[in-house]
Amino acid sequence: MIEYKKDGWRAAIALAPMVFFMLVFTFWPIINAFIWAFLEDFSYGGKGISHGELDGYRWITGGTFIKVGIDNFKTVLTDGLFWDALKNTAIIVIVSVPLTVILGLAIAVGLNSIKRFQGLYQTIFFLPYVTNTIALGMVFATLFHQNYGLVNKVFKNIGFAWINGTTFTGTSEVTFWTALVVLTAYTVWNGLAFKIIVFLSGLQSIDKQYYQAAQIDAAPRWRVFTKITVPLLSPMILYITITSFIGAFKAYSSVIAVFGTGKYGPDGEPNMMITVVGYIYDKMAIGGTPYGVASAASLILFFIILIITMLQLQVSKKRVHY
Amino acid sequence: MNKEMYLNPKELKSFRIKQIIGRTFLYLFLTIMALYIFIPFYWMIISSLKESWEITSPELTLLPVNRAGRVLWPWDWQWSNYKNLIYGIKKVEGSIGTEWQFRPMHFHLMFRNTVFVGLLTTSGTIILTILAAFAFSRLNFKGKDVIFSIFLMTMMIPGEIYVVGNYYTFSLLGWVRSANIWKIFGTLTLPFVGSVFYTFFLRQTFRQIPNELYLAAKVDGTSDFKYLWKIMIPIASATITTIIILSMIGVWNAFVWPSLVTNANFCEPGNYHLLVSNGLLEGLKTAMGSTEENSILNLQMAGSAMVTVPLLIVFFLCKKYIMRGVSRSGIKG
Amino acid sequence: MMKEASKDIPKRGIFHDRVEVKLQNLTKEFVDKKGKVTVAVNDFSVTIPAGKLIGLLGPSGCGKSTTLYLISGLHKPNSGTIFFGDDDVTNTPPEKRGIGLVFQNYALYPHMTVKQNILFPLENMRVPKAEAQVRAKKMAELVHIGDLMDRKPNQLSGGQQQRVAIARALVKEPRVLLLDEPLSNLDARLRLQTREEIRRIQKETGVTTIFVTHDQEEAMSISDEIIVMNDGLKQQIGHPQDVYEEPINQFVAKFLGNPPINIVPGKLKGEKVVLENGVVIDSGVKQPNQDINIGLRPEYLKLSDKGKIEATVDLVEHIGRDTMLICYINEIGLKIRAIISSERRLTPGEQVKFECSKLFVFNKTTGERYK
Repeated sequence: MIEYKKDGWRAAIALAPMVFFMLVFTFWPIINAFIWAFLEDFSYGGKGISHGELDGYRWITGGTFIKVGIDNFKTVLTDGLFWDALKNTAIIVIVSVPLTVILGLAIAVGLNSIKRFQGLYQTIFFLPYVTNTIALGMVFATLFHQNYGLVNKVFKNIGFAWINGTTFTGTSEVTFWTALVVLTAYTVWNGLAFKIIVFLSGLQSIDKQYYQAAQIDAAPRWRVFTKITVPLLSPMILYITITSFIGAFKAYSSVIAVFGTGKYGPDGEPNMMITVVGYIYDKMAIGGTPYGVASAASLILFFIILIITMLQLQVSKKRVHY
Repeated sequence: MNKEMYLNPKELKSFRIKQIIGRTFLYLFLTIMALYIFIPFYWMIISSLKESWEITSPELTLLPVNRAGRVLWPWDWQWSNYKNLIYGIKKVEGSIGTEWQFRPMHFHLMFRNTVFVGLLTTSGTIILTILAAFAFSRLNFKGKDVIFSIFLMTMMIPGEIYVVGNYYTFSLLGWVRSANIWKIFGTLTLPFVGSVFYTFFLRQTFRQIPNELYLAAKVDGTSDFKYLWKIMIPIASATITTIIILSMIGVWNAFVWPSLVTNANFCEPGNYHLLVSNGLLEGLKTAMGSTEENSILNLQMAGSAMVTVPLLIVFFLCKKYIMRGVSRSGIKG
Repeated sequence: MMKEASKDIPKRGIFHDRVEVKLQNLTKEFVDKKGKVTVAVNDFSVTIPAGKLIGLLGPSGCGKSTTLYLISGLHKPNSGTIFFGDDDVTNTPPEKRGIGLVFQNYALYPHMTVKQNILFPLENMRVPKAEAQVRAKKMAELVHIGDLMDRKPNQLSGGQQQRVAIARALVKEPRVLLLDEPLSNLDARLRLQTREEIRRIQKETGVTTIFVTHDQEEAMSISDEIIVMNDGLKQQIGHPQDVYEEPINQFVAKFLGNPPINIVPGKLKGEKVVLENGVVIDSGVKQPNQDINIGLRPEYLKLSDKGKIEATVDLVEHIGRDTMLICYINEIGLKIRAIISSERRLTPGEQVKFECSKLFVFNKTTGERYK
């Protein structure tokens, strides 16, 4: 074995660049986020914003704030828009995640059972992974266009203004729920690729001998699936479920893409489907709004995700086998 | 190991029938799902090659047709849509409003910017990642495990938190929404150069290189970094290629950060800042805003296609690397 | 114990229902992707007596594992029949044959506890819960892992895992128990222990047991009978000691015995064999004159002043109980090994004379042994 400390210098050189970047662009922001959430009325000049007559403290690296406190959190939690965003995000999560995971698993199991064309199907299912969120979101919007979309042309009598009646025709029949359908269709479409690939490689990594042993043990087909395949796959299922929840909570680009207006809804209702992440970015990017609020909101988001993840881990303890 | 090995002819027949029915349903299911995945692509490309009237007609046409309803040959398809997309449609003489019916979208500039940022980011990432992965996999130093665990933990924190912080940092520097394109490029590149994910991934690969090679090289008097350069990198070249490809794709598809830090006002050929995603969005927004026709869906689809097709080409060329990389990273989760 | 598990598995009596396994003209061919045909098992016929522990022995690739899998039903023969007692099971799927199989890597379900692993086959056979628990417990105690029931496989040692695999195979009271290289994954010390365990378990249950190995010492030590295979063909079957002392051909003679037998080329003249250096020895074999190979087991070479085989000592290895001499026959220069008692201390370079108490005469081309 190589002596322990001998590589100290070399390691330092090798790691220095990475550590530097991580410090500046990862750790520093994280720490700041935690701190700013508690600095009230924290704002930094930037372009075009005047400091005004804020009579307060200066933050070390720039920006002023009034005092330390939880005002930011109060602002967020009393903001109706935030709760709208939270509600929207929750609905997106609840609707799309189970659908995507189950569908993904079903497709993976199906793919695993066929020999012919398996490669072709696999390639097709993987396509969404390498596509641009904005570009394809717009395509989905087009597919569901009230007048010219594929969906309405096929189901002629339905004629919903799924998502963009307003933009083009001026009449607003777009409701939250019709938009949700489009968004779900897109989210599921986008999410399947990754899940299928992970499940498929999980399935293929199960040692064939287990199936042989089960055959000798006279196990019927459904029992082989429930008692052997699924338990051996359970770590993947857990991983996919957790990451899917986390990903769905961060929904943002897909909403923007599907509406195509740069906001979270048709022209008449720009905040129809605002999500939590959207809320955070709005608070931040629009000049002059305190960083504090955005940080507070992002901390709240982090907190929610953390709780849900821990819950999932807790529930899974009994059911996941490594 | 097939059950059917053991069936007598009578049982075999009913088994086969059941098998065929089962298979049919399976293929049906998979095909429906595959169509679900495939149709958006198809629709995007086909629509981009249709004429406006065809888009707005109530008929559903799977392939571009002429006014009489006959399917057109590929060379009769509306390739001009792409031309219009890029160069814009000037308004007819004498009509009211601004000069453009459809403002040109500067795809070449979008591509240029994105590729450039991609190259910058990827080069930086590769250098940092190789060094760090090497350190974590082969070198021994105090606190190695602790530091690595800390790195891992950052993977679990949602990116939104860094966004706020990084936005602040670059505001301090005055680079956010700056007029200077180099500052913008810096803003777009620097936060993503240090990636724990790729480090983790590469470290996996490095670790699979047997330690004996390292010891043998040491005995031969090779310095650590020479070993890295001459042996580890070539052996791990597949993974490194995957990282390069994934990183470039990541930049191509990035939306959130670019939309926050670039200034949409800079979209004239002289000073164009946007990347692919927001270029598309902004371009279409302004383009659509200035047109009275509501039938530029074909142009819209052409825009999406312009952005998607290069990526698809890359995908088909590098399919193996991409898919293998994604599935490997998934297993380790 | 008279439980009808399912109407598919024939009604059996007590566990010790001993069936003989009869393989008739079994042939198994494999075709690889390029169309090349490999005959793994070639017209293999053998009758395995009921209730015995049989070792299927041979070098890698000789077809022994394939034969085992044919008996289990996981592979189907291209031609030939398999009988368990009076039942023709050639066309019966593995789960209905009533066999237990212990895989080389044990194939224990990693996510289930020991208890659940053992119960698994019983659940599939729809055995009532109470009875299943009793049977599982009994089986676990039989293999001495009764106190490990709640552990998971990754918490067990290799030897313990194997015993769980054996328990799982036996819990359904199979007619035939099959083990694929049961000792290969164990370290040397454990092998000794485990092979005796296997012997004990077989004796207590009385089930017809067939195990596959490439280690001749293992096979010889615990088998009631051994079957030697090579290239898909049966070479010899019989009591280990009989096969050892009376090999049917050169391959069997070489495969059994450690250190391996010495093969010395020579000529057969009348009833005597003549070595290349002119030494003549009685052989007791009546065959036409021809070139032949002589087989001399190391322990058959005894030091004697009247010995006809003269050799020069090259290396002396003291192995405690015995001493092995590595010598070169004078004038021929052929290397031979001899085992002698440790009473005499010899040094390299010394001249010695051997007489042989027994020798084998093998046909030079076919390897067949002449008696």
